[in-house]
Amino acid sequence: MIKANFKISKSNETDKKGSTNNNNDDLRKDLTKSEFEEFIVKSGAAGSFMVFRSEKKKDELGLDQL
Amino acid sequence: MPDNIEFTIKEDTLAKMLSLKKEMGFDEKGWDEWLEFVLNTISFEKKNISELEKIMEKVHFEKSYDEWVKNFSFNLNHIWQESSARDLDPSSNPNYKKEEHSAIVIGAGPSIPKHNHLEILAKSNYQGSIICTDRSLKPALKAGITPDKFEKYYVTSIDGIEKIKDFYTDPIISNYGHKINGIFSTVVHPLTVQNAREAGIKIHWLHALFDYNEGKKSFNQISALMVRAKNHLKGLPAIQTGGNVGTSSWFIAWQILKCAIVGLIGINHSWDENDSWEIITANFNAAKEIDRSDPLFNKLFPKIYNPEFKSYCILDPIFQFYSNALKEFITRSPLWVTTVNATEGGCIFGERITCATFTEFLTKYKI
Repeated sequence: MIKANFKISKSNETDKKGSTNNNNDDLRKDLTKSEFEEFIVKSGAAGSFMVFRSEKKKDELGLDQL
Repeated sequence: MPDNIEFTIKEDTLAKMLSLKKEMGFDEKGWDEWLEFVLNTISFEKKNISELEKIMEKVHFEKSYDEWVKNFSFNLNHIWQESSARDLDPSSNPNYKKEEHSAIVIGAGPSIPKHNHLEILAKSNYQGSIICTDRSLKPALKAGITPDKFEKYYVTSIDGIEKIKDFYTDPIISNYGHKINGIFSTVVHPLTVQNAREAGIKIHWLHALFDYNEGKKSFNQISALMVRAKNHLKGLPAIQTGGNVGTSSWFIAWQILKCAIVGLIGINHSWDENDSWEIITANFNAAKEIDRSDPLFNKLFPKIYNPEFKSYCILDPIFQFYSNALKEFITRSPLWVTTVNATEGGCIFGERITCATFTEFLTKYKI
């Protein structure tokens, strides 16, 4: 086992180095759902299809016959 | 928070961290910068899966639903006359052993030309199933991957937009079409299937699931009732598409063709780190309004390290949507399914995904 000491630098020091902070609060602040939706719509690139979701998780893997 | 925190880790853990930090190109950089990069990747993936899917669902219903219903109505007469994808399922043969069979799904990602995967496959003696996604059919045939050499040959389309029809127009497709089995969702554009049909491809139908969970009034259930009204009394198989034809093909490989080993090539679901930003953002006009130094840009287009192939790739919002879904469904697939990512790059790695070079795949799996 190794014992290590971590010196904590204040977040403004980190910011000065040009790093980005990506915790959930920041993500929400930077990219709200509506903003992201607008981005996708404006981009005109929504991919081919949607992912199918269901309360019956087994159905999500497909049905032998429908 | 205190200025100093003391903690204890195993020597092995530290050695792994040092090795990975170096491997990821962070050898000369600080620990904080490296840990932040790693944590960004993890938190972004977890946070955005459901949010991204909900947005895509809304966008698709607004953008594509009417088109899908229209396509289905034009296809219905043909669906009644043509085969079900279930007819391709070999498991009705009591001697069939799925664990002895493999398939290769060919996507159209940038790793295909980068690693000469089509040429490698064309020269191989592989005898398993070949599943071309629609976009990759033409280049595969032109590279010598033909049904004359690879007898179990399939092509798949699930997308309802009209431009997919262009993937089925080329003299080489007409030359080999009669030896190719096509698997199409009931909502593909009628001109797509018409071009495939005219090229001689034998059409097999399946449903693409998207609103089945909404009950008897859902389009999936109503259209299924209409299909069962004539000839297809047992209905058609219905697959999860995962949002794209590559993931659909992976599902088809084990659910319909009953292959226990599924190899993936050209399924990058990402951009190469050497691709220019102009190419990466080409489909995202809105991205051009965002400064590249803005943290928002890095969240829309995160850089991911693939520890299996020791390479970086860049995702865009669509690729995040695709890759999250595929990786999730691989972890949820039955235990008899083995997924081998032989793409040699991209972002498909993790739980229950075996990564190997394509040559290694072809050496190990021959049937």
